[in-house]
Amino acid sequence: MRRALPGRRTPLPSGSLRRARPARSRSRRMEPTAVPVRAPELTAPADVPYSFCSQPRSLPSRPKYREQSNGAETEKGPVRYGNIMIDPRVVRGNVLSVRPPPPQSTEPHTLEVKRPRRAQRQVLARKFTQEHIRSGTPEPVKGRQHVHVQTELYLEEISDRIIEVDGECQTDDFLDRPPTPLFIPAKSGKDVATQIEEGELFDFDIEVKPILEVLVGKTVEQALLEVMEEEELAQLWSHQRAFAELRNAEFAELQRLEEQDRRIKEEKERRRLEHLEKLRKQKETAEKIAARAFAQRYLADLIPSVFNKLHDSGFFYDSIERDIETEFLPWLMSEVEETLQKKVLGRTVLDSLIRTVVEKRLDEFSHPPPSAQTNAPAEEPRTADAAPKMSGEADSADQPVAEKEETDQPVAEKEETDQPVAEEWPSVSTSSQLEE
Amino acid sequence: MAQPRISAYLPPDIDPTKAALAFGRRALPKLNEELQSPELLTQQRALMALCDLVHDPEKVYQAIALGFLDSLKTLLVHQDQTVRQKTTEVLSIMALHSIGREGLIRSGVISALSGLLDDPVDICRKNTHQIFDMLAKLPEGAGGVLQAGLIPPLVLKLKTELEEIQELILGTLSNCLRVEVSEALAAGAVAVLKEKLSHPSTAIRSKAAWVLLEISSHAEGKIAVCKEEVIPVLVSLLEDTQPEVRVNSTGALMFALVTPQGRSSAMGAEAIPPLLTLVAEETSKARLNAIKTLTLLAELPEGRQTLLDHRDTFQRCLDDPSEAVQRAAEIAITVIDWKP
Repeated sequence: MRRALPGRRTPLPSGSLRRARPARSRSRRMEPTAVPVRAPELTAPADVPYSFCSQPRSLPSRPKYREQSNGAETEKGPVRYGNIMIDPRVVRGNVLSVRPPPPQSTEPHTLEVKRPRRAQRQVLARKFTQEHIRSGTPEPVKGRQHVHVQTELYLEEISDRIIEVDGECQTDDFLDRPPTPLFIPAKSGKDVATQIEEGELFDFDIEVKPILEVLVGKTVEQALLEVMEEEELAQLWSHQRAFAELRNAEFAELQRLEEQDRRIKEEKERRRLEHLEKLRKQKETAEKIAARAFAQRYLADLIPSVFNKLHDSGFFYDSIERDIETEFLPWLMSEVEETLQKKVLGRTVLDSLIRTVVEKRLDEFSHPPPSAQTNAPAEEPRTADAAPKMSGEADSADQPVAEKEETDQPVAEKEETDQPVAEEWPSVSTSSQLEE
Repeated sequence: MAQPRISAYLPPDIDPTKAALAFGRRALPKLNEELQSPELLTQQRALMALCDLVHDPEKVYQAIALGFLDSLKTLLVHQDQTVRQKTTEVLSIMALHSIGREGLIRSGVISALSGLLDDPVDICRKNTHQIFDMLAKLPEGAGGVLQAGLIPPLVLKLKTELEEIQELILGTLSNCLRVEVSEALAAGAVAVLKEKLSHPSTAIRSKAAWVLLEISSHAEGKIAVCKEEVIPVLVSLLEDTQPEVRVNSTGALMFALVTPQGRSSAMGAEAIPPLLTLVAEETSKARLNAIKTLTLLAELPEGRQTLLDHRDTFQRCLDDPSEAVQRAAEIAITVIDWKP
């Protein structure tokens, strides 16, 4: 069967999918087919909503054999979708470049030959595809019948039930991929080799010495430095520690001695204070004793002296004495005074008598001069008057003093005053007695 | 085109992590510039190269003269942990040299390092504490640490840090507390140290005893030690298996027993027998300290009574090769024989 529409460019109506992919034969031949490409004029502009010419859908697996007759077509078995990966209908490979057209028949392909053949093919196709086109094909005219026809190069048995055979395969155990061989580019040019024999360049043992010396030296230097550091520090700390121990010991000793000293001082101070206290008390006691003794002695005289004084001031009196003193003696004195006054009176009287006498005599004698004898005795009595008066006055002056004295004396005094008067004038003695 | 690079592989002895060193005198100045560059990789490579160079004392001298310490100080607070770690490593190696130590103290690196005490990376903290430890061995360094107010944080860290770092902290504290002790006492150091005395690790016990020694060499320290009742613990440490611990605890007792309360507490803890054992040992370093401690105890009447029986132990000490031990033994005998 000739293939129809190898280079079909117009989009096919939907539903004619089977016809749309007729390029695949039932064999596993991979035939490149032209993918239906839209004609440019049919490309929908952007503002028109997109519509599919053929709705994208998953393809059921292709039947193995073509459809034999209508009867086979009417049996609609379960639709089994095939694996898209092994679907021979799916285009693989480059879809964008022009592929050589599928192999055609051996007839010449000149244009003139092509056109009528194409027309012929079209007619045939129209005839055979009446049944396949579900829509767009007008109903058969009365008396006619549309038949579905395959128009591909190779007829296929179309059936819904696809005869399937399970096949499996398994990869072998993974073999280790051998390592990629080294890419060795092709050799070009000339090979030249050179070889340095031993001993030509340098003597290793001699040359390595300075390098080794430096290396080892530097390492050792660094190590020494660090060890020195640590050693120095350790020495310092041990030195310090030893010093610290000694210092602490000495310090402790110092503190101990300080403490001792403090205690001793405190003790001393306490004892000193005690001693002072003791002395003070002693002194106080001595003073007290002395004061006591003095007071005793002082006051020992007190009572007698007080008594004496009182006695002297008359607090302790003998009542008889008192009596005598208070009553008897004043009476006595007053009596004496009286007596004396009497005497004085008498003397005064006498004196006045004498005076009158004398005055009379004077008067008498002043006229004629009487005898001188009467002058002389008149002078003498005058002097005698004066003298006893004076002695009398003196005596009376004495007497009040004598009254104050002890009572046993006035009598004696009286007698004493009597006597000096008696010595001068025995005549007046009587008058003096009277006076007294 | 011919290139100086012969092959794609670097030569085998080049360390790609280190910066290339310029020749001779130019090495350190170039590294200084690289340290200040804004790129992280350059800084890291420069630090790695610097770490190796700093082992040489001459390079340390040159580095300090060039003012490396300022750029290193700014790098101490970098966010990248490698940079911080390497910087602290460089500084700790510098602190191993005396010039380095002086330079570090002078440029105030101590206060800059105090921010790193809480660093999340262990190695940074360890290096920081190593630097403190080294610096505190100098008197100026100890003064610097005290002035930076680092004692209270260090005492707090003692409770929480790793063991190795605790050892370093204890070393630092022992050197600093020799100078002044009031801050540490305020931070409650004695209680912390009392716990550390019962630590399983030998080094920590011996160092804790050493710190207590330094604390009790001050008057207020003695009072604190007696109050916290550390003396019985120290007496129990006298029988420790490790000689280091014995030496240091004897030393601590030597100072703590100067006060009367200390002495009575020691007598109560029966300190005399272990001390006598220590004195009898011929080659012990604790001999000196033990003799001194016994001298202190001999001033108490009960002590004197007990020690009169052991007078011959002290006689034997007079033959010790160390002069200090001889003197101490003489003094001890004098005190024991003293009659009021």
